[in-house]
Amino acid sequence: MELEGEQFIRAPRETVWAALNDPDILGQCIPGCEQLIRTGENQFDGKVTAKVGPVKATFAGGVTLSNITPPASYTITGEGKGGVAGFAKGGADVHLTEQEGGTLLVYTVKAAVGGKLAQIGARLIDGVAREYAEAFFTKFCTIVEAVPPSSAAAPGVVPSNPSANSEPSSTVAPESKKWLIVAAAGILAVLLYMVISSG
Amino acid sequence: MYEFAYCAPGTVEDAIGILAQDEDALPLSGGMTLLPTMKQRLRQPSRLVDLNRIPSLSGIHVNGEHLVIGSTARHTQVASSPDVSAFCPALAGLAGNIGDPQVRNRGTIGGSIANNDPAADYPGAVLALDATVITNKREIPGDDFFTGMFSTCLEEGELVTAVRFVRPSRAAYVKFPNPASRYAIVGVFVAEMSAGVRVAVTGAGPCAFRWHAAEAAMAGGLARGSIANLRIEGVNLNDDIHASADYRAHLATIILGRAVAAAFKD
Repeated sequence: MELEGEQFIRAPRETVWAALNDPDILGQCIPGCEQLIRTGENQFDGKVTAKVGPVKATFAGGVTLSNITPPASYTITGEGKGGVAGFAKGGADVHLTEQEGGTLLVYTVKAAVGGKLAQIGARLIDGVAREYAEAFFTKFCTIVEAVPPSSAAAPGVVPSNPSANSEPSSTVAPESKKWLIVAAAGILAVLLYMVISSG
Repeated sequence: MYEFAYCAPGTVEDAIGILAQDEDALPLSGGMTLLPTMKQRLRQPSRLVDLNRIPSLSGIHVNGEHLVIGSTARHTQVASSPDVSAFCPALAGLAGNIGDPQVRNRGTIGGSIANNDPAADYPGAVLALDATVITNKREIPGDDFFTGMFSTCLEEGELVTAVRFVRPSRAAYVKFPNPASRYAIVGVFVAEMSAGVRVAVTGAGPCAFRWHAAEAAMAGGLARGSIANLRIEGVNLNDDIHASADYRAHLATIILGRAVAAAFKD
Protein backbone atom coordinates (compact mmCIF):
# COMPACT_ATOMS: atom_id res chain seq x y z
CA MET A 1 0.00 0.00 0.00
CA GLU A 2 1.33 3.36 -0.96
CA LEU A 3 -0.31 6.62 -0.12
CA GLU A 4 0.60 10.10 -1.24
CA GLY A 5 -0.82 13.36 -0.08
CA GLU A 6 -0.12 16.96 0.66
CA GLN A 7 -1.36 19.60 3.02
CA PHE A 8 -0.92 23.36 2.81
CA ILE A 9 -0.31 24.90 6.19
CA ARG A 10 -0.55 28.62 6.75
CA ALA A 11 2.52 28.87 8.93
CA PRO A 12 6.25 29.39 8.37
CA ARG A 13 8.29 26.30 7.61
CA GLU A 14 10.27 26.55 10.86
CA THR A 15 7.04 26.49 12.81
CA VAL A 16 5.83 23.44 10.95
CA TRP A 17 9.15 21.74 11.40
CA ALA A 18 9.18 22.42 15.11
CA ALA A 19 5.66 21.07 15.43
CA LEU A 20 6.61 17.95 13.52
CA ASN A 21 9.26 17.41 16.15
CA ASP A 22 7.05 17.96 19.14
CA PRO A 23 5.74 14.67 20.55
CA ASP A 24 2.95 16.48 22.35
CA ILE A 25 1.59 17.98 19.15
CA LEU A 26 2.04 14.80 17.18
CA GLY A 27 0.34 12.80 19.89
CA GLN A 28 -2.66 15.11 19.74
CA CYS A 29 -2.92 14.64 15.99
CA ILE A 30 -2.86 10.86 15.90
CA PRO A 31 -6.39 9.56 16.25
CA GLY A 32 -6.57 7.38 19.34
CA CYS A 33 -3.01 8.06 20.48
CA GLU A 34 -2.70 7.29 24.16
CA GLN A 35 0.96 7.97 24.61
CA LEU A 36 4.02 8.93 22.70
CA ILE A 37 7.37 8.73 24.41
CA ARG A 38 10.85 9.47 23.24
CA THR A 39 13.12 6.51 23.85
CA GLY A 40 16.21 7.66 22.03
CA GLU A 41 17.59 10.52 20.04
CA ASN A 42 15.65 9.51 16.97
CA GLN A 43 13.24 7.03 18.43
CA PHE A 44 9.80 7.07 19.92
CA ASP A 45 7.46 4.52 21.35
CA GLY A 46 3.75 5.02 21.05
CA LYS A 47 0.50 3.37 21.88
CA VAL A 48 -2.57 3.92 19.75
CA THR A 49 -6.04 2.56 20.14
CA ALA A 50 -7.54 2.38 16.72
CA LYS A 51 -11.20 1.85 16.07
CA VAL A 52 -12.54 1.23 12.61
CA GLY A 53 -16.07 -0.03 12.41
CA PRO A 54 -16.40 -3.12 14.55
CA VAL A 55 -12.68 -3.52 15.09
CA LYS A 56 -10.94 -2.02 18.05
CA ALA A 57 -7.34 -2.81 18.77
CA THR A 58 -4.47 -1.26 20.62
CA PHE A 59 -1.20 -1.09 18.77
CA ALA A 60 2.16 -0.58 20.39
CA GLY A 61 4.76 0.68 18.03
CA GLY A 62 8.20 2.11 17.71
CA VAL A 63 9.21 4.79 15.27
CA THR A 64 12.61 5.83 14.01
CA LEU A 65 13.58 9.02 12.17
CA SER A 66 16.24 9.13 9.55
CA ASN A 67 17.43 11.21 6.59
CA ILE A 68 16.83 14.26 8.72
CA THR A 69 17.37 17.51 6.85
CA PRO A 70 15.94 20.29 8.95
CA PRO A 71 13.77 22.09 8.26
CA ALA A 72 13.00 20.47 4.93
CA SER A 73 12.52 16.71 5.14
CA TYR A 74 12.93 13.42 6.93
CA THR A 75 12.01 9.78 6.69
CA ILE A 76 10.21 7.98 9.41
CA THR A 77 9.94 4.26 9.62
CA GLY A 78 8.20 2.18 12.17
CA GLU A 79 6.22 -0.81 13.08
CA GLY A 80 3.34 -1.56 15.34
CA LYS A 81 2.07 -4.72 16.95
CA GLY A 82 -1.59 -5.19 17.65
CA GLY A 83 -1.57 -8.47 19.53
CA VAL A 84 -3.75 -11.08 17.86
CA ALA A 85 -4.81 -8.52 15.28
CA GLY A 86 -1.46 -8.68 13.57
CA PHE A 87 1.30 -6.27 12.85
CA ALA A 88 2.08 -3.44 10.52
CA LYS A 89 5.19 -1.77 9.39
CA GLY A 90 6.00 1.00 7.03
CA GLY A 91 7.55 4.34 6.49
CA ALA A 92 6.88 7.83 5.31
CA ASP A 93 8.88 10.47 3.53
CA VAL A 94 7.87 13.96 4.56
CA HIS A 95 8.94 17.09 2.71
CA LEU A 96 8.31 20.70 3.62
CA THR A 97 8.40 23.37 0.94
CA GLU A 98 8.04 27.07 1.50
CA GLN A 99 5.24 28.64 -0.45
CA GLU A 100 3.47 31.94 -0.70
CA GLY A 101 1.63 32.37 2.60
CA GLY A 102 2.77 29.18 4.24
CA THR A 103 4.28 25.75 3.92
CA LEU A 104 3.43 22.81 1.73
CA LEU A 105 3.77 19.46 3.46
CA VAL A 106 4.07 16.53 1.06
CA TYR A 107 4.08 12.97 2.31
CA THR A 108 4.46 9.52 0.84
CA VAL A 109 3.49 6.62 3.03
CA LYS A 110 4.32 3.00 2.37
CA ALA A 111 2.86 0.38 4.62
CA ALA A 112 2.32 -3.33 4.87
CA VAL A 113 0.27 -5.42 7.25
CA GLY A 114 0.52 -9.00 8.36
CA GLY A 115 -1.14 -11.51 10.59
CA LYS A 116 -4.86 -11.75 10.99
CA LEU A 117 -5.51 -8.29 9.67
CA ALA A 118 -3.87 -9.10 6.38
CA GLN A 119 -5.50 -12.52 6.24
CA ILE A 120 -8.97 -11.22 6.62
CA GLY A 121 -8.77 -8.92 3.69
CA ALA A 122 -7.32 -5.89 2.08
CA ARG A 123 -10.60 -4.38 0.97
CA LEU A 124 -10.40 -1.32 3.16
CA ILE A 125 -6.75 -0.66 3.73
CA ASP A 126 -6.35 2.21 1.33
CA GLY A 127 -9.52 3.93 2.45
CA VAL A 128 -8.70 3.69 6.12
CA ALA A 129 -5.12 4.80 5.62
CA ARG A 130 -6.34 7.80 3.68
CA GLU A 131 -8.86 8.74 6.35
CA TYR A 132 -6.24 8.42 9.08
CA ALA A 133 -3.74 10.48 7.16
CA GLU A 134 -6.31 13.16 6.42
CA ALA A 135 -7.46 13.23 10.03
CA PHE A 136 -3.88 13.55 11.19
CA PHE A 137 -2.90 16.36 8.88
CA THR A 138 -6.15 18.26 9.31
CA LYS A 139 -5.64 18.27 13.05
CA PHE A 140 -1.96 19.04 12.67
CA CYS A 141 -2.76 21.96 10.41
CA THR A 142 -5.31 23.32 12.87
CA ILE A 143 -2.91 23.14 15.78
CA VAL A 144 0.06 24.59 13.94
CA GLU A 145 -1.92 27.47 12.52
CA ALA A 146 -3.38 28.29 15.92
CA VAL A 147 -0.11 28.34 17.83
CA PRO A 148 1.89 31.54 17.63
CA PRO A 149 5.23 30.64 16.12
CA SER A 150 8.01 31.11 18.59
CA SER A 151 10.56 32.49 16.20
CA ALA A 152 8.55 33.87 13.30
CA ALA A 153 6.00 36.61 12.80
CA ALA A 154 2.23 36.31 12.96
CA PRO A 155 1.02 32.71 12.60
CA GLY A 156 -0.36 31.62 9.32
CA VAL A 157 -1.03 35.08 8.00
CA VAL A 158 2.28 36.43 6.94
CA PRO A 159 3.99 34.71 4.02
CA SER A 160 7.03 32.88 5.20
CA ASN A 161 10.31 34.55 4.57
CA PRO A 162 12.93 32.29 3.02
CA SER A 163 15.73 34.12 4.76
CA ALA A 164 14.25 33.23 8.13
CA ASN A 165 15.07 29.57 7.67
CA SER A 166 18.72 29.35 8.29
CA GLU A 167 18.84 30.36 11.90
CA PRO A 168 15.95 28.41 13.40
CA SER A 169 16.94 25.26 11.62
CA SER A 170 20.03 24.83 13.69
CA THR A 171 18.06 24.97 16.91
CA VAL A 172 15.40 22.65 15.62
CA ALA A 173 17.67 20.03 14.20
CA PRO A 174 18.27 17.97 17.34
CA GLU A 175 14.55 17.81 17.92
CA SER A 176 13.63 16.52 14.55
CA LYS A 177 12.58 13.05 15.49
CA LYS A 178 8.87 13.01 15.73
CA TRP A 179 7.96 12.32 12.15
CA LEU A 180 7.85 8.80 13.28
CA ILE A 181 4.49 9.41 14.70
CA VAL A 182 3.08 10.22 11.34
CA ALA A 183 4.33 6.96 10.01
CA ALA A 184 3.05 5.08 13.00
CA ALA A 185 -0.40 6.49 12.46
CA GLY A 186 -0.39 5.35 8.88
CA ILE A 187 0.73 1.91 9.85
CA LEU A 188 -1.86 1.48 12.51
CA ALA A 189 -4.55 2.61 10.18
CA VAL A 190 -3.60 0.02 7.65
CA LEU A 191 -3.90 -2.78 10.15
CA LEU A 192 -7.35 -1.84 11.16
CA TYR A 193 -8.77 -1.69 7.71
CA MET A 194 -7.99 -5.20 6.88
CA VAL A 195 -9.91 -6.55 9.80
CA ILE A 196 -13.19 -5.25 8.67
CA SER A 197 -13.39 -6.77 5.28
CA SER A 198 -14.68 -10.13 6.37
CA GLY A 199 -18.30 -9.04 6.83
CA MET B 1 -13.61 -15.31 20.85
CA TYR B 2 -13.04 -13.81 24.26
CA GLU B 3 -15.48 -14.17 27.12
CA PHE B 4 -18.25 -11.64 27.40
CA ALA B 5 -21.46 -11.13 29.34
CA TYR B 6 -24.83 -11.15 27.62
CA CYS B 7 -28.17 -9.61 28.37
CA ALA B 8 -31.39 -9.06 26.45
CA PRO B 9 -33.37 -6.15 27.85
CA GLY B 10 -37.00 -5.64 26.93
CA THR B 11 -37.03 -1.89 26.41
CA VAL B 12 -34.83 0.71 24.73
CA GLU B 13 -34.50 2.56 28.03
CA ASP B 14 -33.13 -0.53 29.76
CA ALA B 15 -30.69 -1.14 26.92
CA ILE B 16 -29.42 2.44 27.04
CA GLY B 17 -29.08 2.21 30.81
CA ILE B 18 -26.96 -0.92 30.64
CA LEU B 19 -24.78 0.51 27.87
CA ALA B 20 -24.27 3.71 29.86
CA GLN B 21 -22.94 1.80 32.86
CA ASP B 22 -20.29 -0.08 30.94
CA GLU B 23 -18.23 1.71 28.33
CA ASP B 24 -16.97 -1.57 26.88
CA ALA B 25 -20.47 -2.95 26.34
CA LEU B 26 -21.82 -3.05 22.80
CA PRO B 27 -25.33 -3.28 21.41
CA LEU B 28 -26.04 -6.41 19.36
CA SER B 29 -28.49 -6.30 16.49
CA GLY B 30 -28.05 -8.92 13.77
CA GLY B 31 -24.38 -9.35 14.61
CA MET B 32 -23.41 -10.09 11.03
CA THR B 33 -20.35 -7.88 11.26
CA LEU B 34 -19.76 -7.76 14.99
CA LEU B 35 -19.80 -11.51 15.67
CA PRO B 36 -17.23 -12.45 12.99
CA THR B 37 -15.07 -9.63 14.33
CA MET B 38 -15.34 -11.00 17.86
CA LYS B 39 -14.56 -14.51 16.64
CA GLN B 40 -11.37 -13.12 15.15
CA ARG B 41 -10.62 -11.53 18.53
CA LEU B 42 -10.51 -8.16 16.89
CA ARG B 43 -13.10 -6.80 19.27
CA GLN B 44 -13.48 -7.59 22.93
CA PRO B 45 -16.72 -6.20 24.34
CA SER B 46 -17.31 -6.77 28.03
CA ARG B 47 -21.00 -7.31 27.40
CA LEU B 48 -23.41 -7.65 24.51
CA VAL B 49 -26.73 -5.92 24.93
CA ASP B 50 -29.06 -7.82 22.62
CA LEU B 51 -31.65 -5.53 21.05
CA ASN B 52 -33.62 -8.31 19.37
CA ARG B 53 -36.12 -8.81 22.18
CA ILE B 54 -37.25 -5.21 22.31
CA PRO B 55 -40.73 -5.29 20.72
CA SER B 56 -40.79 -1.58 19.85
CA LEU B 57 -37.76 -1.94 17.56
CA SER B 58 -39.35 -4.45 15.22
CA GLY B 59 -42.16 -4.14 12.75
CA ILE B 60 -42.80 -2.66 9.34
CA HIS B 61 -45.71 -0.38 8.57
CA VAL B 62 -46.84 2.09 5.93
CA ASN B 63 -48.17 5.43 7.00
CA GLY B 64 -49.47 7.34 3.99
CA GLU B 65 -46.46 8.43 1.95
CA HIS B 66 -44.02 7.00 4.48
CA LEU B 67 -42.71 3.53 5.18
CA VAL B 68 -41.34 2.92 8.66
CA ILE B 69 -39.07 -0.08 9.21
CA GLY B 70 -38.05 -0.98 12.76
CA SER B 71 -34.32 -1.16 13.33
CA THR B 72 -34.25 -4.89 14.11
CA ALA B 73 -36.25 -5.90 11.03
CA ARG B 74 -34.33 -8.66 9.24
CA HIS B 75 -33.40 -8.26 5.60
CA THR B 76 -35.60 -11.27 4.87
CA GLN B 77 -38.57 -9.60 6.52
CA VAL B 78 -38.10 -6.46 4.44
CA ALA B 79 -37.62 -8.49 1.25
CA SER B 80 -40.78 -10.54 1.79
CA SER B 81 -43.03 -7.82 3.20
CA PRO B 82 -46.06 -7.11 0.97
CA ASP B 83 -46.12 -3.58 2.38
CA VAL B 84 -42.55 -2.89 1.30
CA SER B 85 -43.12 -4.45 -2.13
CA ALA B 86 -46.17 -2.29 -2.68
CA PHE B 87 -44.45 0.83 -1.37
CA CYS B 88 -41.16 0.48 -3.23
CA PRO B 89 -40.26 -2.77 -5.00
CA ALA B 90 -36.69 -1.58 -5.39
CA LEU B 91 -36.24 -1.51 -1.61
CA ALA B 92 -37.62 -5.03 -1.22
CA GLY B 93 -35.31 -6.16 -4.00
CA LEU B 94 -32.34 -4.52 -2.34
CA ALA B 95 -33.02 -6.33 0.94
CA GLY B 96 -33.47 -9.63 -0.91
CA ASN B 97 -30.04 -9.41 -2.48
CA ILE B 98 -27.96 -8.52 0.56
CA GLY B 99 -25.24 -11.07 1.28
CA ASP B 100 -26.40 -14.65 1.49
CA PRO B 101 -29.46 -16.34 3.08
CA GLN B 102 -27.73 -16.65 6.43
CA VAL B 103 -26.96 -12.95 6.53
CA ARG B 104 -30.46 -12.02 5.37
CA ASN B 105 -32.02 -14.13 8.10
CA ARG B 106 -30.02 -12.44 10.85
CA GLY B 107 -28.87 -9.06 9.60
CA THR B 108 -30.96 -5.99 10.35
CA ILE B 109 -31.50 -2.62 8.72
CA GLY B 110 -30.53 -0.77 11.90
CA GLY B 111 -27.31 -2.70 12.23
CA SER B 112 -26.45 -2.15 8.59
CA ILE B 113 -26.77 1.61 8.65
CA ALA B 114 -25.21 2.04 12.11
CA ASN B 115 -22.20 -0.01 11.00
CA ASN B 116 -22.05 1.95 7.72
CA ASP B 117 -19.81 -0.41 5.84
CA PRO B 118 -18.62 1.34 2.66
CA ALA B 119 -20.11 -1.43 0.54
CA ALA B 120 -23.37 -1.96 2.41
CA ASP B 121 -26.59 -1.71 0.38
CA TYR B 122 -28.99 0.00 2.77
CA PRO B 123 -27.13 3.34 3.02
CA GLY B 124 -27.83 3.84 -0.70
CA ALA B 125 -31.55 3.42 -0.09
CA VAL B 126 -31.50 5.78 2.88
CA LEU B 127 -29.94 8.53 0.76
CA ALA B 128 -31.94 7.97 -2.43
CA LEU B 129 -35.33 7.58 -0.73
CA ASP B 130 -34.87 10.73 1.36
CA ALA B 131 -35.13 8.65 4.52
CA THR B 132 -35.06 9.84 8.10
CA VAL B 133 -33.15 7.85 10.71
CA ILE B 134 -35.08 7.73 13.97
CA THR B 135 -33.16 7.20 17.19
CA ASN B 136 -34.07 7.14 20.86
CA LYS B 137 -33.06 10.81 21.01
CA ARG B 138 -33.96 12.48 17.73
CA GLU B 139 -34.77 12.25 14.05
CA ILE B 140 -31.77 12.56 11.70
CA PRO B 141 -32.10 13.40 8.00
CA GLY B 142 -30.53 10.62 5.97
CA ASP B 143 -28.31 13.16 4.19
CA ASP B 144 -26.66 13.98 7.54
CA PHE B 145 -26.42 10.48 8.96
CA PHE B 146 -23.42 8.96 7.18
CA THR B 147 -20.23 10.84 7.97
CA GLY B 148 -17.47 8.60 6.59
CA MET B 149 -16.11 5.11 6.46
CA PHE B 150 -17.78 3.12 9.25
CA SER B 151 -18.84 6.34 10.91
CA THR B 152 -22.18 8.01 11.45
CA CYS B 153 -23.41 10.97 13.44
CA LEU B 154 -24.77 8.64 16.14
CA GLU B 155 -23.65 9.74 19.60
CA GLU B 156 -22.83 7.76 22.71
CA GLY B 157 -26.00 6.34 24.16
CA GLU B 158 -27.90 6.70 20.93
CA LEU B 159 -29.55 3.76 19.19
CA VAL B 160 -31.30 3.61 15.85
CA THR B 161 -34.92 2.66 16.51
CA ALA B 162 -36.40 2.89 12.99
CA VAL B 163 -35.90 4.22 9.49
CA ARG B 164 -38.62 6.19 7.73
CA PHE B 165 -38.57 6.18 3.92
CA VAL B 166 -40.44 8.52 1.58
CA ARG B 167 -42.47 6.94 -1.25
CA PRO B 168 -40.88 7.38 -4.68
CA SER B 169 -42.89 7.57 -7.89
CA ARG B 170 -40.38 5.14 -9.37
CA ALA B 171 -37.06 3.76 -8.23
CA ALA B 172 -34.49 1.08 -8.86
CA TYR B 173 -31.37 -0.29 -7.24
CA VAL B 174 -28.71 -2.09 -9.26
CA LYS B 175 -25.41 -3.31 -7.88
CA PHE B 176 -22.35 -5.01 -9.25
CA PRO B 177 -21.75 -7.49 -6.44
CA ASN B 178 -18.54 -9.08 -5.38
CA PRO B 179 -19.13 -12.67 -6.46
CA ALA B 180 -18.01 -14.05 -3.11
CA SER B 181 -19.45 -11.72 -0.51
CA ARG B 182 -22.26 -10.07 -2.54
CA TYR B 183 -21.09 -6.77 -1.18
CA ALA B 184 -21.54 -3.98 -3.71
CA ILE B 185 -18.39 -3.16 -5.63
CA VAL B 186 -20.61 -0.39 -6.97
CA GLY B 187 -24.31 0.02 -6.31
CA VAL B 188 -26.55 2.80 -7.59
CA PHE B 189 -29.99 3.62 -6.23
CA VAL B 190 -32.07 5.99 -8.37
CA ALA B 191 -35.39 7.40 -7.19
CA GLU B 192 -37.85 9.86 -8.65
CA MET B 193 -39.27 11.74 -5.69
CA SER B 194 -41.83 14.55 -5.62
CA ALA B 195 -38.95 16.96 -4.98
CA GLY B 196 -36.83 15.63 -7.84
CA VAL B 197 -34.56 12.79 -8.81
CA ARG B 198 -32.15 11.45 -6.20
CA VAL B 199 -29.16 9.27 -7.02
CA ALA B 200 -27.10 7.48 -4.37
CA VAL B 201 -23.92 5.49 -4.91
CA THR B 202 -22.65 2.85 -2.51
CA GLY B 203 -19.58 0.62 -2.57
CA ALA B 204 -17.55 3.08 -4.59
CA GLY B 205 -16.36 5.53 -1.95
CA PRO B 206 -15.58 5.66 1.79
CA CYS B 207 -19.32 5.54 2.39
CA ALA B 208 -22.51 5.97 0.38
CA PHE B 209 -22.95 9.39 -1.19
CA ARG B 210 -25.35 11.37 -3.37
CA TRP B 211 -24.26 11.76 -6.99
CA HIS B 212 -25.34 15.35 -7.47
CA ALA B 213 -24.17 15.66 -11.08
CA ALA B 214 -26.37 12.72 -12.06
CA GLU B 215 -29.30 14.26 -10.21
CA ALA B 216 -28.77 17.55 -12.01
CA ALA B 217 -28.54 15.80 -15.37
CA MET B 218 -31.93 14.22 -14.72
CA ALA B 219 -33.55 17.27 -13.17
CA GLY B 220 -36.51 16.89 -15.51
CA GLY B 221 -37.14 13.33 -14.43
CA LEU B 222 -35.49 9.91 -14.61
CA ALA B 223 -34.18 9.11 -18.06
CA ARG B 224 -34.91 12.61 -19.27
CA GLY B 225 -31.29 13.66 -19.29
CA SER B 226 -28.01 12.56 -20.74
CA ILE B 227 -26.15 10.42 -18.25
CA ALA B 228 -23.96 8.21 -20.44
CA ASN B 229 -20.94 10.50 -20.21
CA LEU B 230 -21.15 11.36 -16.55
CA ARG B 231 -18.19 10.47 -14.38
CA ILE B 232 -18.01 10.68 -10.61
CA GLU B 233 -15.78 13.53 -9.51
CA GLY B 234 -14.75 14.96 -6.18
CA VAL B 235 -14.84 11.64 -4.30
CA ASN B 236 -11.86 9.49 -3.38
CA LEU B 237 -13.10 6.23 -4.82
CA ASN B 238 -12.06 2.97 -3.24
CA ASP B 239 -9.03 1.29 -4.71
CA ASP B 240 -8.46 -2.27 -3.53
CA ILE B 241 -7.82 -5.83 -4.59
CA HIS B 242 -11.35 -6.10 -5.98
CA ALA B 243 -11.41 -3.04 -8.21
CA SER B 244 -9.36 0.03 -8.94
CA ALA B 245 -10.73 3.53 -8.47
CA ASP B 246 -10.85 4.05 -12.24
CA TYR B 247 -12.73 0.82 -12.70
CA ARG B 248 -15.25 1.84 -10.07
CA ALA B 249 -15.73 5.25 -11.66
CA HIS B 250 -16.42 3.63 -15.01
CA LEU B 251 -18.66 1.01 -13.43
CA ALA B 252 -20.72 3.65 -11.65
CA THR B 253 -21.69 5.23 -14.95
CA ILE B 254 -22.65 1.84 -16.39
CA ILE B 255 -24.63 0.85 -13.31
CA LEU B 256 -26.37 4.23 -13.27
CA GLY B 257 -27.60 3.58 -16.80
CA ARG B 258 -28.84 0.12 -15.82
CA ALA B 259 -30.58 1.47 -12.74
CA VAL B 260 -32.42 4.12 -14.74
CA ALA B 261 -33.48 1.47 -17.26
CA ALA B 262 -34.58 -0.84 -14.45
CA ALA B 263 -36.75 1.89 -12.95
CA PHE B 264 -38.95 1.70 -16.05
CA LYS B 265 -39.30 -2.07 -16.12
CA ASP B 266 -42.10 -2.44 -13.59
